[in-house]
Amino acid sequence: MVGVATVASALALWWLATSGLRLLNPLRLPAPHEVWTALRQIMGSGYAGATLWEHALHSLGLVARGFLVAVVTGVPLGLLMGWSRRAEALINPIFLLLRPIPALAWIPLAIVWFGLGDTGKVFVIWLTAFVPSVINSFTGVRNVDTVLIAAARTQGASTAQVLRHVVIPGSMPMIFTGLRLSLQASWTTLVAAELVGAFFGLGRVLNIAGQDIFPGMILVGMAAVAICGAGSTWLLGRLERRVLNWRAAV
Amino acid sequence: MSEIVFKAVTKTFRLPKGGDFLAIDTTDLRIEEKEFVAIVGPSGCGKTTLMRMAAGLEFPSTGTVEVGGKTVRGPGPERAVVFQQFALMPWKTVRENIGFGLMCKGTPKAEADAAIARYVELMGLAGHEDSFPHQLSGGMQQRVAIARAYVMQPAALLMDEPFGALDAQTRIVMQEELVRLARRNPRTVIFITHAVDEAIYLADRVVVMGRKPGRIIETIDIRPLREEGGWEAMPIEEVMDQPAFTHMRSRIWKLLKAREQEKPAA
Ligand SMILES: Nc1ncnc2c1ncn2[C@@H]1O[C@H](COP(=O)(O)OP(=O)(O)OP(=O)(O)O)[C@@H](O)[C@H]1O
Ligand SMILES: [Mg+2]
Repeated sequence: MVGVATVASALALWWLATSGLRLLNPLRLPAPHEVWTALRQIMGSGYAGATLWEHALHSLGLVARGFLVAVVTGVPLGLLMGWSRRAEALINPIFLLLRPIPALAWIPLAIVWFGLGDTGKVFVIWLTAFVPSVINSFTGVRNVDTVLIAAARTQGASTAQVLRHVVIPGSMPMIFTGLRLSLQASWTTLVAAELVGAFFGLGRVLNIAGQDIFPGMILVGMAAVAICGAGSTWLLGRLERRVLNWRAAV
Repeated sequence: MSEIVFKAVTKTFRLPKGGDFLAIDTTDLRIEEKEFVAIVGPSGCGKTTLMRMAAGLEFPSTGTVEVGGKTVRGPGPERAVVFQQFALMPWKTVRENIGFGLMCKGTPKAEADAAIARYVELMGLAGHEDSFPHQLSGGMQQRVAIARAYVMQPAALLMDEPFGALDAQTRIVMQEELVRLARRNPRTVIFITHAVDEAIYLADRVVVMGRKPGRIIETIDIRPLREEGGWEAMPIEEVMDQPAFTHMRSRIWKLLKAREQEKPAA
């Protein structure tokens, strides 16, 4: 209830500041009705080459692909490094070398390598999302209670069974922490990559709206990114609650 | 064959700050096949360490530990362990925790289910089969840990304060149950406890340990007392009132106390 009231007052304030009292230049902050017009335009005839749905679906698809590839590659690698000191010794140096490079710094190289199409963006998102997936899976394995591993071995568990029934489930809470960070980073990188150059996508909408000096459309783009980001985080949260159903409620 | 033999075993731990810590000084101990041995001793005297070496989770610094004539090289399902910290998998239900060893062994499902059901019943866990450990009380978690060991029908049972988290009543029920099980289906048992009463009531022999360094002070055979006193036919509270029992208890207490005064904890 308090939340609803806060949002309502913010909206009222917004309307007052822009349309009601005209305190702000509409080129800086658009009035609510301008955003509404922009929304209707992009939903109907489209903007920057496509409708809002098409842009949003395109961006969602890129994030989904980059994120999933990062999970599929990063989590097993993190688990491996956590489980085997030798794997850690082998892989960690490469990791330490690449890690200080912000993912966004890869964008120009990705464009040179892959052009402005999807592949380059999936590549950069993968790079961003990969790091938290690896690190948290690694930490997850290292934090598994050694008594549980000992107990499983006294019950005759093979190494594969120890991994499958003890180490992986025991790392799951940390793995999910990593996935949440990965997902957030994926969206940041996506928008940046699309801003730099893209044919479709929410970042492209923001970019063109900026060039057109079309504040209403900029807000529509920002809101769409926020909704997509929040929606995917929510889905991940649901998955987490389902997978970690054995945890005591906090 | 599952006699457990410690031959001139010592155990030193490397301390993180550097230096060595002698946890177990030269120890010889032979536990016969199907013998029930209780180990009592002050905290930190190396009871758990001794048990972990029999389990194959820790290895002697010098000397050897042999089970059934073979040097212990690692853990195995024929030596079931009840851990002091329960060590239940939080992500598995009571049923899955109890059945884990059977699953690893590849026991057919119907057979495993029947065995699990039997021990769930025996341990008073009926109705909680699908609960996760965090939904159980400490005492119930401990009973799951015990059921998980029994269900394997191991040749040797290594129990580290298995009744530590139980209330007095449940504890008595479990002690009597353990005696019944041990009689019906004798196996080699190492039973670690802080409770001298419990040790005398359950064990064939009581091993009294001292610390700094951890070692065996004395090994006492309880069997003559039990046979002469006809304890087997009595309920536990009556056994504990027998003069022979109370004598033995004060004798062991004195042993523990004398050592503590001789070498006060640093
Ligand atoms: N992995 C280890 N590294 C270093 N020291 C250890 C290790 N395990 C045990 N110790 C030390 O060895 C000694 C014996 O420990 P142990 O756990 O066997 O005692 P315990 O008799 O089981 O005590 P309690 O009754 O409190 O369970 C202790 O002083 C302990 O600090
Ligand atoms: Mg102990």
